[in-house]
Amino acid sequence: MTVPQAIGEVQIPLLAVMLLAGCVTKTLQMVRAGSAADAVGPTALFPIYLRRPLAIVLCLAEGGLGIGLVVTATGFGGRVAANGIRFGSCLLFFVATSALIELRQSRPDVGCGCFGDFSTAPVSGRTIARSALLTAAALATIGAGPVTAPRTTAGWFGLAAILSAEVLLIGVLSPEVGEGLVRLGYSEPCELRNVPAARTLAVLRRSKYWRRHAGLITSDAPADVWRELCWRYLVYPARYEDRQADLVFAVFLQRRRPAVHVALVDSSTGMPLEWPAGKERSRRPRRAVLPGPRRELAPAFTQVQAQSAAGDLPLSSDL
Amino acid sequence: MGGAGFACCSRCANLPPGSPNSAASDPADFMFPAGPAVGAMAGFAAGPAAATGFTTGATAARRRLLKAAVFRPQAELVHSERHADGDDPAPGDAGSQTAGFADVRQLPRTVWGTIRDISPHVLELGEGDRVQRFALPPDAVAWCGTQLEPASLLQGDQAIVRLSPSGRNVADRIWANIGRVTGIISERSGNQLLVDEGATRKTQVIALQPRSLGRIQVRFPTLEPGYLVDIIGIRKRDELIGMIPATSQPAYPAQRLPAPPLVSGRVPDSIAGSATWHEPRDEPPGILGVFYPALDPETACAEDLAGGVRQGYSRMPYLAIGSVLRITNDCTGSSCLMPVTGCAPIGRLFNDRCVTCGTSPRGRVADLTPASFIALGGELERGCFNATITIGG
Repeated sequence: MTVPQAIGEVQIPLLAVMLLAGCVTKTLQMVRAGSAADAVGPTALFPIYLRRPLAIVLCLAEGGLGIGLVVTATGFGGRVAANGIRFGSCLLFFVATSALIELRQSRPDVGCGCFGDFSTAPVSGRTIARSALLTAAALATIGAGPVTAPRTTAGWFGLAAILSAEVLLIGVLSPEVGEGLVRLGYSEPCELRNVPAARTLAVLRRSKYWRRHAGLITSDAPADVWRELCWRYLVYPARYEDRQADLVFAVFLQRRRPAVHVALVDSSTGMPLEWPAGKERSRRPRRAVLPGPRRELAPAFTQVQAQSAAGDLPLSSDL
Repeated sequence: MGGAGFACCSRCANLPPGSPNSAASDPADFMFPAGPAVGAMAGFAAGPAAATGFTTGATAARRRLLKAAVFRPQAELVHSERHADGDDPAPGDAGSQTAGFADVRQLPRTVWGTIRDISPHVLELGEGDRVQRFALPPDAVAWCGTQLEPASLLQGDQAIVRLSPSGRNVADRIWANIGRVTGIISERSGNQLLVDEGATRKTQVIALQPRSLGRIQVRFPTLEPGYLVDIIGIRKRDELIGMIPATSQPAYPAQRLPAPPLVSGRVPDSIAGSATWHEPRDEPPGILGVFYPALDPETACAEDLAGGVRQGYSRMPYLAIGSVLRITNDCTGSSCLMPVTGCAPIGRLFNDRCVTCGTSPRGRVADLTPASFIALGGELERGCFNATITIGG
């Protein structure tokens, strides 16, 4: 087997895999979306009423040509059928390349849709280059005979080398590969993780900061709970030296041994207070509960707001 | 520290006193009014905030205070109460970061009201008994479905007016009767769409003009129940005359969102996407703030309470009411710190791109009030601008 012959034969399974993968991913996208009109890609170049049939035709063409390449590669149907299928594949990739160039200019926001949901990135030079490469690969198959297994080990190695090089090249030109790798090795960062407030409360109750300061708290339910990034903040009404105060906890959102920060602030001004020396430790920590969904304002804050309106309070910009 | 941080807010607080229609007419309307007032609006309300999806600046200011207290050494706070412009270890807090702020005097201001009278040179805008006059320079333009000469506007039109940074009472841009509906189509009857904007808002009606239908369907090809839609047009009584597709949204039912992009490792400090605007419904129109698509589902959004948390397309870090974002208009370079004032339950379902300048990544990163949108250099009729948000500034 000569090198050009080997290159031609390698293209057939490669093209078949690409076409069938495109068909399957497009079908999955249509099934998930419940409509063929939801497919994106070159169909966006056409009037709305044509998009649905075009999406279906494109999907069927890819599937048919992919299967046809596999079937005719064994010699089934003769040379004419094989070349017809291969010419059809070449034509499909050529038209796709042209459409992608047009799509890039007229709809820069639309992905190529080559592999359904995986191909949402806007059409780039890489995408067009990949399509052009596949056009050339399909062109190389026209006129080639049926695929035959190499008879020597060197022949196998040669085929494997050509195949690997081409797969690598296609991988480099495929934005979908990066998306796939991200999905495979995914671990959600804590900033994006949905962590129930009840779990945060449980963690807080186990912390030494809760045991140390719970004696100051005057209400079982926090007056405010909010989250920013990896931290959840819980504010409890407290009393300190006959003053209304707030005990503010910040809990890092991780399961084991999370960091906890705590501050005691004056309820009316929001200014931090000195910690009492050893008085606040509670013999029996209070039970922590979550606030109701529409918990009314604590009276202290109503008072604070009234004072705010009167302009009696110090300013955060002064802190 | 707060005053310097909330650049735009300081700007709007400096609007002329007595303005009939500006945010300055009622200081209580500001999310973050002038810097000195930030701390004064102490107090917070987790319950009401969650119930309405919108809260006052008091919540934000209070939370910033408490966060600063918890992440700073106690002694430092107690003994240096009035010198807090030092280091700032609180994660995501932008309070002490002042570098890189836009010159507030150079940012556009916004007023709104009903047109009482308009001539080629003067606009008279009123609200109730209060009337204010604005000069119209020769290059001033108006929009009412299309670009117009300002003198073409009519008495009684509801106007949003952008004031020129160069002059105190000089209007350089007027949007008349502009409206926007963003939501899920619940029903279609001929050329009328009923659009669900969320559990806390009333159903909107969009009347599609035959001449606009083709243009809209280029961007929103499937105008059928269950699909997302975002249209800008002219407000006429209770309905919106649909004119322009606000963005370009792939057609999929809102119930079948595509899988959001995954983020591995550390979440980037800055997130790019598109920033849109929304019509103020239950909030003061001049409020400066941002609706953020990823509020903590545990404590955040009335929509979540009503309809259950629905995972959107945007995978963004969880934040809360009062968190601070720096929003940058990538098209103009304008940048401003703004507080999160609400959730964007519908906005997070979109995976559109903004193509105002180049092509933004998919997903909406901010849903701004009209005043914020204009302050950042946005043109309302364009619907969006390419934006980058930085949490904490």
